[in-house]
Amino acid sequence: MTSIDLQQARLFKWKKFATEGAGRLIIFLVGSIILWALISEFLIARPDRYLPSPLAVLLSSADMLNKGSLLSFYSDTLTRLVIGGAVGIVIGIPIGLLLGLNRFVADMFYPLMNFFQSVSGIAIFPVVVIWFGNSDTTVLIVILYTSFFPIAFNVLSGVRSVPVRYIQAARTLGASRLQVVRDVLLPGAMPSIAVGTRLSIGFAWRAVIAGEMLAGRPGLGNMIFSGQEFDNTAQIILGMVMIGITWIVLDHFLLRPLESDTIERWGLVSR
Amino acid sequence: MSGEAKLIIQDLCHHYPDEYTGESVHALEGINLQVYENEFVAIVGPSGCGKTTLLNIVAGLLPYREGRAMVDGNEIHGPGPDRGVVFQEHAILPWRSVARNIGHGLELQRVPKEETRRRVQEYIDLVGLSGFEDRYPHELSGGMKQRVAVARTLCADPVIMLMDEPFAAVDAQTRITLQDELNRIVMATRKTILFITHSVEEAAFLGDRCIVFSRRPGQIKTEIKIDIPREERVWKDMADNPKFTEARDKILRLVRQEVTSDDEH
Repeated sequence: MTSIDLQQARLFKWKKFATEGAGRLIIFLVGSIILWALISEFLIARPDRYLPSPLAVLLSSADMLNKGSLLSFYSDTLTRLVIGGAVGIVIGIPIGLLLGLNRFVADMFYPLMNFFQSVSGIAIFPVVVIWFGNSDTTVLIVILYTSFFPIAFNVLSGVRSVPVRYIQAARTLGASRLQVVRDVLLPGAMPSIAVGTRLSIGFAWRAVIAGEMLAGRPGLGNMIFSGQEFDNTAQIILGMVMIGITWIVLDHFLLRPLESDTIERWGLVSR
Repeated sequence: MSGEAKLIIQDLCHHYPDEYTGESVHALEGINLQVYENEFVAIVGPSGCGKTTLLNIVAGLLPYREGRAMVDGNEIHGPGPDRGVVFQEHAILPWRSVARNIGHGLELQRVPKEETRRRVQEYIDLVGLSGFEDRYPHELSGGMKQRVAVARTLCADPVIMLMDEPFAAVDAQTRITLQDELNRIVMATRKTILFITHSVEEAAFLGDRCIVFSRRPGQIKTEIKIDIPREERVWKDMADNPKFTEARDKILRLVRQEVTSDDEH
């Protein structure tokens, strides 16, 4: 395949992803917004307090956009999510790999990891605040901590689930131990790495929202929290909608294409 | 047989602890075997006779303590590219295309890209997979996967190719085709081959020499020379080939003896 063919194939794939199921999605979205508007208009006594209409949420977002606060909150939150989540995943993959490769290391550290996995990010929050105050550092540490475990555990089990036959085949072709890791264990663990990445980003999302609420740092989480304080329900719903949409976009345009180019192409998972 | 011995096994014995009971299992006893250059040696025996254990030892996947095993004069310690293995099934990597699977060995040896490409194409053509270069294993039939496995092993150019019941998991029609093809490939490459099978017909059809194993502990019971020129080894002619039918019946009798005497216990 020439590089131009390859580029065209990629472009085609991208277009397919951008449009795949778009019709159904639009019908679903429009339908739910209409339903929401109807409920808010006819069933709720005080919609501004209990369930503001889609229009009210839209107006609230326009208002906040005008003041410039919405974009700044959004970028603050997204930056924390990306940094904390990325660092958590980047640390989690090699540690999971190491634990999956070496029984001795696994026996030593597995119980410790298991212990901390059950202690959620929110549970360690107070002690991190004592160490670092109500700062961005605190929020970042909690995100990193939360996103580390799902990816590390998934890589660990992924590496262990690679059939021994594949390793033997590579060894008889002359692969060194390092080459076995690169050519067999890492790609073989890809389905688990994909699952772990999803879980880690999902967990990081929760951590960033909760962290901002507790530490009072500006961002979407804090925006939702202060919405409750000031009885501004439209602001709360706006925050929720933005979180949800961001996740869908991230999933559709980043994670799914990544999966379809690897584990689905290889026939390791089917959809 | 002329030529030099590529594989030498001397007084090889093997015991291993049973996975569940922990009792010592006596798998191989006093194996002496030589495989000469360009020779096709087929080992046939009842299931559980230790023939796969022998292959794993030669492949370097199983450590041994008693006796010696040498390839090209070098004592075997662990796996290496001088001994390529074609496994029964599920051994080509799902995340590599056909071409990248076949070129894997050369890639590991850091052979230049251009040469790798050329050699990979040569072996793709040899096993009849032209047009499937960019396909992934899950898109191939069982027979095609085994063709990839054979090409992958040959492309790495081992001193000896070890085959562990490579056609046992495909359907009967495909098996016949693959056996005919392997014969053609052997003629084309003159590769030295150690072939493990439980199928008497397969052993008689493919082997220059056929080694019959006794039941456990595996010992070499007899060896039979099969003196049919490679060019004549085509399945459609085999029913009328007295040398083939004679060898097959003889091997069958020997293997049956082992199975029957096992039943009497």
